[in-house]
Amino acid sequence: MDRFQRTFEKIRKEKRIAFMPFLVGGDPNPEKGLEILKEVAKYSDGLELGLPFSDPVADGPTVQAADTRALKAGVTPDKVFEIVKQLRKETDIPITFLVYANLVYQRGIEKFYKDAKIAGVDGVLVPDVPLEESGQFVQAAKHADIRPIFLITPATNKERRKKILREAEGFIYIVSVLGVTGARAEVEPRTIQLVKNLKQETDLPLVVGFGISTPEHVKTLRMAGADGAIVGSALIKYMEPYYKTPKELQKKLKAYLGAFQKASL
Amino acid sequence: MKINNRKGYFGPYGGQFVPETLMGALQELEEAYKRVPKEQKFKKEFEELLKDYAGRPTPLYFAKNLTKKLGGARVYLKREDLAHTGAHKINNALGQALLAKYMGKKRVIAETGAGQHGVAAATAAAVLGLQCDVYMGTIDIERQKPNVLRMKLLGANVIPVEAGSKTLKDAINEALRDWTKNVETTYYLLGSALGPHPYPSMVRNFQSVIGKEAKKQVLEKEKRLPDYLVACVGGGSNSIGLFHEFLKDSSVKMIGVEAGGHGIASGKHAARFSGGREGILHGTKSYLLQDKVGQIMETHSVSAGLDYPGVGPEHAYLRETKRVTYTFATDKEALEAFHFLSETEGIIPALESAHAIAEVMKLAKKLPKNKIIIVNLSGRGDKDLGIIVGKEIYA
Repeated sequence: MDRFQRTFEKIRKEKRIAFMPFLVGGDPNPEKGLEILKEVAKYSDGLELGLPFSDPVADGPTVQAADTRALKAGVTPDKVFEIVKQLRKETDIPITFLVYANLVYQRGIEKFYKDAKIAGVDGVLVPDVPLEESGQFVQAAKHADIRPIFLITPATNKERRKKILREAEGFIYIVSVLGVTGARAEVEPRTIQLVKNLKQETDLPLVVGFGISTPEHVKTLRMAGADGAIVGSALIKYMEPYYKTPKELQKKLKAYLGAFQKASL
Repeated sequence: MKINNRKGYFGPYGGQFVPETLMGALQELEEAYKRVPKEQKFKKEFEELLKDYAGRPTPLYFAKNLTKKLGGARVYLKREDLAHTGAHKINNALGQALLAKYMGKKRVIAETGAGQHGVAAATAAAVLGLQCDVYMGTIDIERQKPNVLRMKLLGANVIPVEAGSKTLKDAINEALRDWTKNVETTYYLLGSALGPHPYPSMVRNFQSVIGKEAKKQVLEKEKRLPDYLVACVGGGSNSIGLFHEFLKDSSVKMIGVEAGGHGIASGKHAARFSGGREGILHGTKSYLLQDKVGQIMETHSVSAGLDYPGVGPEHAYLRETKRVTYTFATDKEALEAFHFLSETEGIIPALESAHAIAEVMKLAKKLPKNKIIIVNLSGRGDKDLGIIVGKEIYA
């Protein structure tokens, strides 16, 4: 049983939803980034980790700003691999990479997935590689025993969902809004409908991200039957003012993440 | 080299590297693009627009003074600068805006570097009654002010982009994000032979009118095919538009000219084929200027329209198959060519096109007098006067 299976089996048994924050690896710098991840992991059922990229077209301004901060602090894919290695000493929750195609391609597709596995990564999502281009990426993932994670959006029709579900492993990442990442006011009704439809179509865990920003959203998703909720931009924005005061950040995170944790029960 | 025969590929280059959210829109576009331009009604309307509105065919002008001064091959200028809005960009903008209208879209968005595509998109939107938003990096807004004013006059909304290098690359990022959000109502009017399939072939096909006209015109004037075609290559739409019609004519040599900026060694340039390697950006696999791990590099060129880290995938393929040769001209060479053409022929070229003229200045001299060169004068230079004046002051 892999870490995803273990986590989601437990979640389903406890009749709750997995809380899976997204952060950019090495934001605001490699040292602080690692400390923040260790802290966030304590309150989380899984982690999404973005590899900073110069042109993150699927992301909104908050994540792009985090990418830029990390890149300015000298974060490279190597450094994020190293961060995961360190993090793995302290946590056993599943870790998923969110990485743009060019960073995978430049490292060598096979090598990227192998290195990710060695570092302790469980799943890899390449947001700018849709099903049509995914052949080599999925193959490399399978060779390396990494779960290829796929996006499904409210605009993905049933026929297409069927094809994606044939390739996807680990969990399905449901994009809750048409658009890029970034905090939103509410969960759209068609996202709820998509969760319900997908429950009929697959046994894979259904994790919702993009725009999920409050404990209330997490609760709504739990009620709709989703297996996980990803909170990214809202968390990053919340932390930004406290990067220079780690003690205070720790205290703040406890309250902030605690509320999400509670909503997931 | 691994050949990929899949849809949307030119050899190993091309593809559809976009988030899942855009796949539905790309499929809708592909389907519409396969169907609509074949309809008689569309054909007629598009031909009329090109002829009576854009002013096509543009002349093929024998540059007598230039030829004489260079003392070698006979040089012809394909006068895209005389097309409505002052550059070749109008061909593609009218084609795509008309397609958008036939698809029932009310709003088009576009990215622009030099502002020529933004102006063309705003123009096409105005004449066809569509709403138009144009993304433009703040550095480009600064250096291409006349075009910003023109877009506004044409009723378009110019959205400044502050992120990243604040140039064309970042304008494309923002346009893609906008499209992802508004995919159901909005048509993305991409301005170069770049991006995910079907854009590279669609833009090329709308621009191929340049080469078709040039071929007919040179056969009339010279009773034979040219020996060389020369065009500048940013994303690559004016060059592919000229080259495409001649690709099967093996006697015709073709040269694409990239922006050499301050020179390749300086790292401050946009010559993807001299300083780049294969990579994936903005929906396509092609040549890219990037660092060791794959972060996209900031580029430099005196010409905003060539200041982009990627190049259309078909160009990567034409280079790989050695059908087209790619070289570069530096800022300095382009500026010299800008003045040279202005003074010898009374034609002020766009700084983009001046890169192609710079190559012709090197090439024509080396060739005997019976050889023929056609250079694509892709745009006029009025928009660049601010840059030129600035350079003279600092020179």
